[in-house]
Amino acid sequence: MLNINKTIENNKATFALEGRMDTVTAPELEKEIQAVLPGLTELVLDFENLEYISSAGLRVLLSAQKAMNAQGSMKVCHVNAAVMEIFEVTGFSDILTIE
Amino acid sequence: MKKKITNLWNRFREKMTPDPMFHETEVQANRLGSLMLFCSGLILLLILALTIAGVFPLKGRLMYSTTIQAIVEILILLVICKIFKNNAWWLKPLLLIGMVIVFARLDSMLTHKAAILMVLPVVFSSRYFSRKLTVFTSILTTVIFAASAFWGATHGLINLNIVTMQEGTVMVATGGFLGDAVQNAGASNEMLIRNTLLYDYFPKWLMFSIVSIISCNIARRGRSMVISQHEKDSKVARIESELNLASAIQADMLPNIFPPFPERTEFDIYASMTPAKEVGGDFYDFFLVDEDHLCMVMADVSGKGVPAALFMMASKIILANNAMMGKSPAQILTETNAAICSNNREEMFVTVWLGILEISTGKLTAANAGHEYPVVKHGNGAFELLKDKHGFVIGGMDGVKYQNYELMLEPGSKLFLYTDGVPEATDAQNELFGTDRMLAALNQEPSASPEQVLKNVDSSVKEFVKEAEQFDDLTMLCLEYKGNQ
Repeated sequence: MLNINKTIENNKATFALEGRMDTVTAPELEKEIQAVLPGLTELVLDFENLEYISSAGLRVLLSAQKAMNAQGSMKVCHVNAAVMEIFEVTGFSDILTIE
Repeated sequence: MKKKITNLWNRFREKMTPDPMFHETEVQANRLGSLMLFCSGLILLLILALTIAGVFPLKGRLMYSTTIQAIVEILILLVICKIFKNNAWWLKPLLLIGMVIVFARLDSMLTHKAAILMVLPVVFSSRYFSRKLTVFTSILTTVIFAASAFWGATHGLINLNIVTMQEGTVMVATGGFLGDAVQNAGASNEMLIRNTLLYDYFPKWLMFSIVSIISCNIARRGRSMVISQHEKDSKVARIESELNLASAIQADMLPNIFPPFPERTEFDIYASMTPAKEVGGDFYDFFLVDEDHLCMVMADVSGKGVPAALFMMASKIILANNAMMGKSPAQILTETNAAICSNNREEMFVTVWLGILEISTGKLTAANAGHEYPVVKHGNGAFELLKDKHGFVIGGMDGVKYQNYELMLEPGSKLFLYTDGVPEATDAQNELFGTDRMLAALNQEPSASPEQVLKNVDSSVKEFVKEAEQFDDLTMLCLEYKGNQ
């Protein structure tokens, strides 16, 4: 289960995620992000209520990060300890902007 | 002449023999036909009984002979169907023709009373899902029922509504039915036949043609549905067998004969993979680079299923090829990353832990590309997480550099490698198994053989997860370093 709450103002999109981002739910987020990407300069992912992220979820973050590198910036905020550990183990903490 | 008949028969047979995909449904249709005839027979018996009992005021003699003949015909058809188990190409035309004749016979007696008899064979024919067959049945019904109307006009029940009499005709009731009185009053046969065909048969035929058109449509739709269902079924069967083959190929790619190096006494190694779906993205690998160097790999591809399995195959081969060239773990990972990034539009990635053990000394050189922390047990100590240096996942970004680290394994030391399926196994309450439970399982019997160590972890995970579905692959590898004893 993954709830995606999307807010868009001008060229900034914020996705507040709630639940688990895994093989089943990650494609939903990918689709949502793909839809707002054109012309976007700022992408914020709020992980405050995200319990778990699997490698499929990491893949979505990676492709979003790559897309945003070319056209603006992306940051991930309110990362909890469990997700942070996954970021550190996989080396994602080095390529993501985490606040 | 004889040849002509044989030719005609062969053509008929060819037309009536169904396509293999319709065989099953035609047998079912024959069974339905038998059932229909059986029910008709029961109804006839009932009518016969009621007539004998005097409840039905029908013309006695004719009623009996027609009904009994129809019952006998039905019985013959039923016996034939039973003998051939509803399964012969000629049963279809036999049933349809037989049905038309039986119902037409009853129609000739009941005339206007049982108009529904006319539509039964056509409606039934649509069950064979062949428009041509339904058209054939319609034509046959039209002809045979016209004949039955012709004969029935003078022999069957008289429809009093269509009897025209000369003005001033006087009928004398002699007891019995009005129909008898009409016949006695001198209704001419030509008038009865003409009026029956015009006022009874013709309107009945018009309604019948509507039913025919509907039946043709049902037959055609049914046919296309059977065909598309058949196509879907064979597609699914093909995909399933391909998946099974793919997972067999994948399983064969991993070293799975234990002990793998029976002549080597310096170490013992055991590994296992339990995929969550048919094919997974986890893999382990180990092989001797040369006499003194054992290379071990534990990796996890992002995602699951066929895409992950394809990516896993490519990664495994590139890693092994680089390793066999005698490079250091960091070099192997760096070059594998470069090779994968050069062609990775789908942005798949793989986490890899790769280590090379110098068998003579116990020196382990390793590098970690975003994979889980390995677990090490030194000598007689306990299993502990080794918080090693992590690089970024392989395939994520071009030009990433990885770093080697070294550690010494003393005789009796063990190394345990795993993928995230182990610590992230979840129970029904969505709680994670976690590394703490994993370490506890490892330390149940720290000095057991690698095979037993994996079994302990596996049963501990199963006990924790219980009835919850296994969500991720479970892949583990355990090495015991024994040294030169």
